[in-house]
Amino acid sequence: MADGGTGPGSDGQGIGARVLRKEDKRFLDGAGRYVSDIYLPRTLEAAIVRSPVAHAENLKISPPAGAEGRFFTAEDMAADGVQPIHVVSKFPGHKGSDYPHLATGKLRFVGESVAVCLADTRAAAEDLVAGAEIDFNALPPVVDMLAAVEPSAARVHDDWDDNVILDSRFDANAENVSAPVSVTRTFRMNRQAVNPLEGAAVLAEWDAREDRLVVYSASQIPHILKNALCECLGLRQNQVRVVAPDVGGGFGYKCVLLPEEIYIPWVAMQVKRPVRWIQDRREHLVTAANAREHHYSVTLHAQPDGTFVGLEADIIVDSGAYSVYPHSNILESTMAGRTLHGPYTFSAYKVRSRAVATNKPPIVPYRGVARPGICFALELAIDAMARELGREPYDLRMQNLVPPEKMPYTTITGGEFDSGDYPEALRRSADLIDVAAVRARQLEGEADGRLIGVGFGCYIEMTALQTSAAARAGLAAIPGYEQAHVRLTPDGGLEIGVGVQNHGQGMETTLAQVACEKFGLDIDMVSVRHGDTATSPYSTGTYASRSMVMAGGAIARTCDVLGENIRRIGAHLLQCGFDETTISGARVVGPSGDVSFAEVARVWHRNPEDLPADVDPAGVEVTSGFRPSPDKSPFSYATHAAIVAVDPELGHVEILDYVISEDCGTIVNPMIVDGQILGGALQGVGTALFEESCFDAEGQPLSSTFADYTMPGSTHLPNIRLDHLVNPSPLTEFGVKGLGEGGAIPPPATIANAVNDALREYGAEVSETPITPRRVRACVVAKS
Amino acid sequence: MKSAKFDHQRMVTLEEAVAALGSADGEARIMGGGQSLGPMMNLRLAQPDLLIDLSRVGGLDGIEVAGDTIRIGARVTHARIEDGAVPGVTGAYMQFVASGISYRSVRNRGTIGGSVAHADPSADWPSALLALGGDVVIAGQDGERRMPLDGFQIGPFATGLGFEEILTGFELPTLGEGAKCGYYKVNRKPGEFADAIGAVVIGSAPRVVCGATEAAPFRVVAAEERLAAGAAEISVADARDMIAAQDPGFDDYDLQIHAVALSRAVGRAFA
Amino acid sequence: MTELTLKINGEDVTADVEPRLSLADFVRDHRRLTGTHLGCEHGVCGACTVLMNGEPVRSCITFAVAADGTEITTIEGFDDDDPMTMLRQAFHENHALQCGYCTPGMLVAARDIVTRLPDADEDRVRLELAGNLCRCTGYVGIVNAILSVIEKRQA
Repeated sequence: MADGGTGPGSDGQGIGARVLRKEDKRFLDGAGRYVSDIYLPRTLEAAIVRSPVAHAENLKISPPAGAEGRFFTAEDMAADGVQPIHVVSKFPGHKGSDYPHLATGKLRFVGESVAVCLADTRAAAEDLVAGAEIDFNALPPVVDMLAAVEPSAARVHDDWDDNVILDSRFDANAENVSAPVSVTRTFRMNRQAVNPLEGAAVLAEWDAREDRLVVYSASQIPHILKNALCECLGLRQNQVRVVAPDVGGGFGYKCVLLPEEIYIPWVAMQVKRPVRWIQDRREHLVTAANAREHHYSVTLHAQPDGTFVGLEADIIVDSGAYSVYPHSNILESTMAGRTLHGPYTFSAYKVRSRAVATNKPPIVPYRGVARPGICFALELAIDAMARELGREPYDLRMQNLVPPEKMPYTTITGGEFDSGDYPEALRRSADLIDVAAVRARQLEGEADGRLIGVGFGCYIEMTALQTSAAARAGLAAIPGYEQAHVRLTPDGGLEIGVGVQNHGQGMETTLAQVACEKFGLDIDMVSVRHGDTATSPYSTGTYASRSMVMAGGAIARTCDVLGENIRRIGAHLLQCGFDETTISGARVVGPSGDVSFAEVARVWHRNPEDLPADVDPAGVEVTSGFRPSPDKSPFSYATHAAIVAVDPELGHVEILDYVISEDCGTIVNPMIVDGQILGGALQGVGTALFEESCFDAEGQPLSSTFADYTMPGSTHLPNIRLDHLVNPSPLTEFGVKGLGEGGAIPPPATIANAVNDALREYGAEVSETPITPRRVRACVVAKS
Repeated sequence: MKSAKFDHQRMVTLEEAVAALGSADGEARIMGGGQSLGPMMNLRLAQPDLLIDLSRVGGLDGIEVAGDTIRIGARVTHARIEDGAVPGVTGAYMQFVASGISYRSVRNRGTIGGSVAHADPSADWPSALLALGGDVVIAGQDGERRMPLDGFQIGPFATGLGFEEILTGFELPTLGEGAKCGYYKVNRKPGEFADAIGAVVIGSAPRVVCGATEAAPFRVVAAEERLAAGAAEISVADARDMIAAQDPGFDDYDLQIHAVALSRAVGRAFA
Repeated sequence: MTELTLKINGEDVTADVEPRLSLADFVRDHRRLTGTHLGCEHGVCGACTVLMNGEPVRSCITFAVAADGTEITTIEGFDDDDPMTMLRQAFHENHALQCGYCTPGMLVAARDIVTRLPDADEDRVRLELAGNLCRCTGYVGIVNAILSVIEKRQA
């Protein structure tokens, strides 16, 4: 611990405490304030005319009758000098594709925004949409990524010579990738939607008193949205304020810019009234069918004794029609290529990864980003290798996981794992799931005729992506230092401002716990505010499992600086030397007395005549920052294990038991940690078994309501047994690591491996998510 | 997802409602519980010009036993049936069916008459009641008439109701103590619409229904004959043949799951 | 426009509304009771669940005019309700919410479970929750909270 802090506060509210959430009350009372709950007088409601086809040119738009001054197109925006969304990485050969806010001449996916209609009610705005006419010449759509890479495919972007956005190679000792035993498999993870329960939402007005554009958006990245608004609308930074109020889930969908977040504010400026657009579920399922679509051809090479030698793969990521801001459309394909190796040791690597453009919505980095896909591909290949070698899958993994004595470990592609005991996590999950009991049960058979299987999934998760790695990887958005404002208030409490944005992770509580750890303050005396660019420090936002590492680290460092100033004042009041003081229980403690924070605050705020002459003029309101030094990322990891029952007659899969053994370093709040893992795991079950955004041959979305798109629910996962290891990170304050995404990463692999274990007598394997009854039946039928 | 505009009229009597159906400009629909029509209207897949509100009309909520017939009003909700408002063996069967329809908050508003009149091919009541047998009671220009449940639904969202008719209730058989019933719904999440339905009621004679077919539910003749001959189970393989013989246009997967539903419904009937 | 008279959280309300206005939009936009949320507008997610004459219903697929003459209770109307007070505390203690968007509808559904099914076990609770989507929590905290209230009420 850094100087000053002496442990948990008055009721054990520091690091490690199971503090109940400060933010709960308003949500339980129905008093949360999401964008759609904010009322501004004279607001006009927007409904969007959207493309009915996947690919077309010569777009012509006719406004509906009675919509004068209430109908806006790309032409109107261009006439006003609005710039499109522009983002390219530093990868050589990355083909740029500006993302128009409203379609310009061409239509590139069903649901693409074409025009904005305004009215007093959303219903009336939708009436106007129904009256608008779009004319165009349809073009052959590019729907499947495998067809898209063919040279003969139609072009999504006319000025490109093919549909490959970026073709990357990740080769290391590639000439030695082969080994005596190999398995080759093809895998597909199908497209799905993110579906936070609150969709996107934007409310914007030009605020006359503030003399700036004020945009309320359900965003994970308010400062980044502010940047985009300035770049696109030609505004100065001091002319824009973005507020992310309460946000109903994000999971990565809300950490990329939506065109609506630019054109709705622009429209508000034109009509000089607030304008509101609330995404409905059909809009989300159609326009946000944009996550996870990967294809893998993988060959795993090993020695006959099971030692992994080489990993070969050809990866394609269906990245949709445009590049998204700020991460661009190659984040996922490059992550997949670079980290397919997972937590295992390989001596050779030969991986090609292509991001491909198609006439579908632009890809967003949904919780886990590339990792659910690469985990699925590698973990299923490992099980296939185990079957090939006649080994228990658990055993083969144990043999090849990076062992703890090799930490910090440099991977075959140059990444560095900071700390962790991957084999121990596997060992514990195997114990919890009891493989031997499953094997015995399989021999007996089930009375109801179902087939039982057990499966494992191991993963590592880089958390809190750092500057050097991002720059080296050529990514478009580079994170830097994270700041926190910490202010000691006249009553001796703390007001803390952070740039990350809380949307379910409990940060109003967990980040306060950091301050409690430092000062021993009661958590009721600490408030953490976020989401408003007017009052929060700049931040790239909440994504990449970074908030506790970065914002928590920033608060810790800022409290250290503030603590010095407090001690200086306290020492003066106690008539002792600065070096004789410490902080404990929100008091400055000297050799013969102590003084409260409230007392120190009183002197600073109300009786400055009693301040020491050498007090820092920055006083009791401090901004400081944090980045791990060296700027490397902590890696969380876990092993998941599951037992499933497969009904061979119907193809239904039921999860009977599910265990997780995980390590996210030092745990700040065990209740919050468990909640993140459990929530992520059910999302992973959704990817594994249920969620798919289907498209027909014309690129028409077929899964546009919850009648066609099944969300995982309360009956789909039994209570998970959660086990925790703690191997602190050497890189961060308190040894914390990120963990928000991890729960969602291995369930598809774990469940698929369990299903394939159940189906082993059929000799057919599921290799595609979601593992629907049809796909399971296809395996059953293939044998017969 | 806001509905298109429509007019709304509150009726006090059935005659009034029938007349309004007849005299409406454009498409008129009865507003039942709104649980099926509501989503379709929000999606603008249905855009009636007039909704006729019967909530003040009496005589549609009753459940009466008269000898070997149970008369159930069209406006009886799934929730009331789930809670056991229909007596006897018939009631127990219907209670089981009702409890699997959607979610409680939908069951509180959704009605048995609305469900059958709406005739969603994946809904429960059209299949479940077809297996029970009995009549639909209808109010029209010329007063009241009856139609047997057999053949009432003629296709997806299509029934034998005329444009100016209102489904007012059902007359269902009072099953005896020895009657056997089995209902099996294939879906992946409780409350979801069915992928396949098997419904078996063996009262005076066996009635076996294959439902959630994307068309009207149909009785599986060969299965009824097998049960009438004394069988107490039907294998999935046999069920496949029996269903396929009636040419339902299923691919192999759909045939399989409908056969499983039928086979397991028989299993439940004899459990 | 149709005239509408009903009670909302004990208060008499009269309004003239378009027939197509949903009960959810009526309480949210006309009465500014924004605790009831819209998550799907086709009756699947349950975020819009309110009580109508004491029974839970989906306000997104209920037209406001269909609520004429009824008593509606939204999440804002349970201040003096024992079961809801117990559930709120149990949700808090069991981490049964994260982003909070599903929470009002979830609480109304949970209240229906504990009052209508006082002997429900875990399987039954999970079954009854199938109509309320939560994307954040994975349901464990919600199920634990409801079971704890059932147990307390049995005591």
